[in-house]
Amino acid sequence: MNRKARILIGKVGLDGHDVGARVVARALADAGMEVIYTGLRQSTQHIVTAAVEEAVDVIGISILSGAHMALLADIIQSLKQIDSEDIPLVVGGIIPMEDIPMLKEMGVLEVFPPETPTQAIVEFFSGLVHGA
Amino acid sequence: MTIEKKLKKWEQQTLQNWLKENPETKKRYNTDVGIELERLYTPTNLDGEAFDYERDLGFPGEYPFTRGITPSMYRSNPFIVSVYSGFGTPRQSNQRYKKILEWGGVDEIAIAADLPTQMGYDSDHVMSKGEVGRVGVAIDSLRDMEILFEDIPLNRLKRVSFLGNSFGPIALALMIALGRKQGLQTSDFTINLQNDILKEYIARGTYIIPIRPAVRLATDVVGYCADNIPNWYPINICANHINAAGAGSTKATAFALANGMCYISDLLEKGYHIDAVAPLLTMFLDERADFFVSICNFRATRRIWARLMKENLKAKKPESMALKIYAYSHGGEAMLEPMNNTVRITLAALAYVFGGVQFLENASYDEVLGTPSENAAKIAARTQQILMHELGITNTVDPLGGSYFVESLTNQIEKEILKEFEQVEAKGGAIAAIESGYYKARISEGASKRQRAFESGERISVGVNKYRTESEIPSGAFRIDPSSEKEQVDQLVKVKKNRNNRTVRETLEFVREVAKSDGNIVAPILEAVTAYATIGEICGVLRDLFGEYQSTEYFRAR
Repeated sequence: MNRKARILIGKVGLDGHDVGARVVARALADAGMEVIYTGLRQSTQHIVTAAVEEAVDVIGISILSGAHMALLADIIQSLKQIDSEDIPLVVGGIIPMEDIPMLKEMGVLEVFPPETPTQAIVEFFSGLVHGA
Repeated sequence: MTIEKKLKKWEQQTLQNWLKENPETKKRYNTDVGIELERLYTPTNLDGEAFDYERDLGFPGEYPFTRGITPSMYRSNPFIVSVYSGFGTPRQSNQRYKKILEWGGVDEIAIAADLPTQMGYDSDHVMSKGEVGRVGVAIDSLRDMEILFEDIPLNRLKRVSFLGNSFGPIALALMIALGRKQGLQTSDFTINLQNDILKEYIARGTYIIPIRPAVRLATDVVGYCADNIPNWYPINICANHINAAGAGSTKATAFALANGMCYISDLLEKGYHIDAVAPLLTMFLDERADFFVSICNFRATRRIWARLMKENLKAKKPESMALKIYAYSHGGEAMLEPMNNTVRITLAALAYVFGGVQFLENASYDEVLGTPSENAAKIAARTQQILMHELGITNTVDPLGGSYFVESLTNQIEKEILKEFEQVEAKGGAIAAIESGYYKARISEGASKRQRAFESGERISVGVNKYRTESEIPSGAFRIDPSSEKEQVDQLVKVKKNRNNRTVRETLEFVREVAKSDGNIVAPILEAVTAYATIGEICGVLRDLFGEYQSTEYFRAR
């Protein structure tokens, strides 16, 4: 495979904490992937547009504010509108356990709660882009 | 035989023999700030030039204030017991505040505001969707403040805190206006604002307008208080968030000091004397990974502050040199087995008390899972009260002063802080360090280092990466009522309907005019909030005039 895997790491919602997003972005880059990090407080529409324009293989969303249900529903809806719901969508951050089944039903492929080892996240992304 | 020789002999004989049979569990005993600890500290660590009692410690209440800022510390002035609280609508939070006051012994309520409020968006703004009343209470206008403190006169508390980082002047104006509504003079009660915008660009992220005009607004708040309300605390210079983001507490303190110098030089340029503003400033210090580093950080920072004020800035008043410290106890809380966090937080708080803190808040054990439950918040406050009143912890001033270890580590941390501080100053100060990405780079390095230390097991979290028995993070964190967002938007509509919209327009125009000039922005904003202009409307004027800060974080790592 010649092309490097491309990953978009995006921050939606109004919270200003991106330590986790940056640590994950750095780890994925160290594992040989090309990582585009959007910076704080992107609109869901901006995330979807950037993902399509950059032709990324996976979208990773970090959210800590608690607004994950509404914002992820928006992202999935926007992806569907442009027939791009096949781009895998994964989420990390402060997500209560009881919300995870509902998020998966909505179309989120995987959820990484806090205290997930970085290596497990890297392996999951690698599996997604190389494994299938 | 001198003590050096005896020590050498002990090391070569007693110790070496012992270690042959009893090896130590680790090669190195490192702290989160990168200082490696020695096995034993003795008088040799404080020999000669290294330590001078009068120069380095002195007496409490006297320069350089290492041992504490008052002569009798907690015997005369118990530390302030503060509770950080707010969620949902002002009505819901008002109910919680009343319960908190029923607990007894709570001196301060710190208002936790939701993210739309902190970002200067009203609850009906498109960016506020899904965020209203989460992580804090929703505040749109003075009406919300009136409801939040209904039947709670502001002078019933020793202090009330409000973040107001990105909109300090609005936060100040809201508190003045609320006091008036309650029939109080500003001298009757005490307000503390965080109002530290510089660290938002570095670590916390709730910035709105570009750096320079934002610093001007922040120092307008300090200037207004120096002129009119010297009993309030208009700025709390934060190391806390910079450390939490990854910098480590020595770098975080150094960066916070550099940020503080930036505010001070802006105030001096505005014509204020150092002794008019320095006594109003406090620092929000933080260390959550090492008990002794925490104690020594507080002692060292007081000494550095005193010397900076006296020697560099030529302050004359002792109040300018005596640094008041605010702290929020965290102890590396975990989401697994969260009740254990109570112990971690207690120990972190104990270190702050040994370090000589003035204003203390404790995290709740379930705070890592979401907005604290009432019971968890009560335990947090009770923990502070137990530290104050039980077990004799607060009976003696600076009880660890003179310890070979504590004094050596205080000296070492002081040196490290000064080295980092001088590096930032040499690079052009705080604003240059933000713009060049210097701060961010140091923080990212630190965050990755911490993560590696945790994953390799070098840094232990009991029940998480050692002795782990649970696989799932417990659910059932406190949840806000999902109808809160709609309720708050309805309330906002009502406010906009009932106020005099012409007066609102005129006051907003006055805000714009003064913002364009170099006048102090507080008085016009006070008129606007009094007319029930919303935070979103006032920030809208500022956004329109100054633009929004563009973060340069769109990067590609390869």
